[in-house]
Amino acid sequence: MPELNDITNSFIKDEIDEFIERNDERFHLIEAFSQADPRLQDISAALIDGDNTTVDKLTKEALDVGFEALEIMDNGLIIAMSIVGIKFRENFIFVPEVLACARAMKAGMSHIEPILSASGIKPVGTVIMGTVKGDLHDIGKNLCIMMLRGAGFEVHDLGVDTSEDEFMDAVEEHGAPLLGMSALLTTTMPNMGKTIDTFIDNDMREDVKIMVGGASVTQEFSDDMGADGTAADAVGCVGLAKTLLEELKREQGE
Amino acid sequence: MKTERSMTSRERVLAALERAPVDRTPVCNPTSIATVELMDLVNAPFPNANRDPELMARLAATGYTELGFDSIMPVFSIIQESSALGCKIQWEQKDNWPTVKMSEPIWTEADDITIPSNFLTHSDTKCVLEAIRLLKKEYGDEVAIIGKTMGPWSLGYHCFGVEPFLLMSLDDPGKTHLALDRMKEATIEFGIAQIEAGADALTLPDHATGDLVSGEYYKRFLRDLHIELTERLPIPLIMHICGRTVDRMGFIAETGCAAFHYDSKNKPLESMEAVEGKISLVGNINNPETLFARGPEEITKEVFGNLEHGIHMVGPECAIPLQTSIENLKAIPAAVKDWHRSGSI
Repeated sequence: MPELNDITNSFIKDEIDEFIERNDERFHLIEAFSQADPRLQDISAALIDGDNTTVDKLTKEALDVGFEALEIMDNGLIIAMSIVGIKFRENFIFVPEVLACARAMKAGMSHIEPILSASGIKPVGTVIMGTVKGDLHDIGKNLCIMMLRGAGFEVHDLGVDTSEDEFMDAVEEHGAPLLGMSALLTTTMPNMGKTIDTFIDNDMREDVKIMVGGASVTQEFSDDMGADGTAADAVGCVGLAKTLLEELKREQGE
Repeated sequence: MKTERSMTSRERVLAALERAPVDRTPVCNPTSIATVELMDLVNAPFPNANRDPELMARLAATGYTELGFDSIMPVFSIIQESSALGCKIQWEQKDNWPTVKMSEPIWTEADDITIPSNFLTHSDTKCVLEAIRLLKKEYGDEVAIIGKTMGPWSLGYHCFGVEPFLLMSLDDPGKTHLALDRMKEATIEFGIAQIEAGADALTLPDHATGDLVSGEYYKRFLRDLHIELTERLPIPLIMHICGRTVDRMGFIAETGCAAFHYDSKNKPLESMEAVEGKISLVGNINNPETLFARGPEEITKEVFGNLEHGIHMVGPECAIPLQTSIENLKAIPAAVKDWHRSGSI
């Protein structure tokens, strides 16, 4: 069984030791990092530290010496974002730090994405995200997007003040199995229900799983609106997205 | 602490802000209690009630005349200062608040910050000042008139954009301190103008919420700045920060603010313990799950929960959902009076 000392990068070892308290998460991370090449661990360490310049440099270097893009993404970037997500969930870090880590992830992915697109490798899943009509708040939505991308999802961000038709058109255009709607204002939350009704009216409801979120969105509200689920935070959003994706695949017989 | 002397609403609120004896706990709204029902009642709908001082005053007064609150707070939204600074505003209709278009920031550097010479004569800031004058004239010493001036952290979100501002705080704390120092002058200028217009107290929203930043961040960036605001604004200040804030209430209690308006994510007991008697607490009736979605019975339970722990003023936790019913809002003062009648104090 792999142990903490099998991880060669001392920064990552310290991060896991200090911040990862759940046994299942510790085990998964120790296992992953103990098997990761030291170069990839260095990329991870820089991402967790929010150092976008170093992530950018090391990602390019790793590609230059022959690492596969998918391996760098999975074992250098995504695994690092999972530590960021845990630290955020447990309030060891807050939004400024998450933004810095997401910026570092983006720097690495700027080299990875073109290669993956060209090779036809598919993402974990495709998600349409947006803040509903009449609402201009987006920090929560953007944090979810960062975490979703950090977990390997392809995300199309519709921005703020998004109408029911815009949501529907985007789901159709991208063939997205997942839709996420955000609202901060209680006055705009009902627009989530209106959007879901639009999908029903257009016989599209069965083809997509819909998540809703926002400071005032509760499970009860989500159920009342006819959504498939809500999560308390950005990290929960990723877990929910994965669960709903699997659910849809089972329903569609895949 | 209780006094047998019968007080006016205004006296009650001002006493509670000093933690002095009151005849009963005041019902106070440091943030908006405008609703669609109240707009219809007095024919003062959004968006015009945010832009016309007579409509603003008329709608705001319903908090006292119709609902039985001990305060009137006419600033329903949080856009006035940012609008006057140059931000674009999305005005919406009757059933939604106007919002700052934070995706179109007006500043990127601390050196970009300027407070225009017409800051107080811009239609949106001027509307508030005129509304306060009208309310003071109409209601004189009966009821507390509470103004509002946005703090520099919140102005930073509006004018720089939320993500750029938060990243700046991490990338360049020195620049962030400078930016805050410059933006606070807008807070002070608008605050003083409202004092001169007749406000009895000012709400100071400054959204360094636990949902976004740590308590240590509050201490590092805002505590000393808020101390300066209490020194330069000669009026009781009611600080308002949404979300989970127990970890920073101790720092907030050190600022010299008269009160802290706290959110339902924080329990009354833990909040009282955190402030150690150094600041009044006002709150914290839950908006979306209780005031909006439930009824008088659940509201009463939350009011009693606050009173039992000695919260100094009771009210909604934040600007209430516009579709909240009058019946539910009236349940707050009714519950406070019931609790006092029952001899619980």
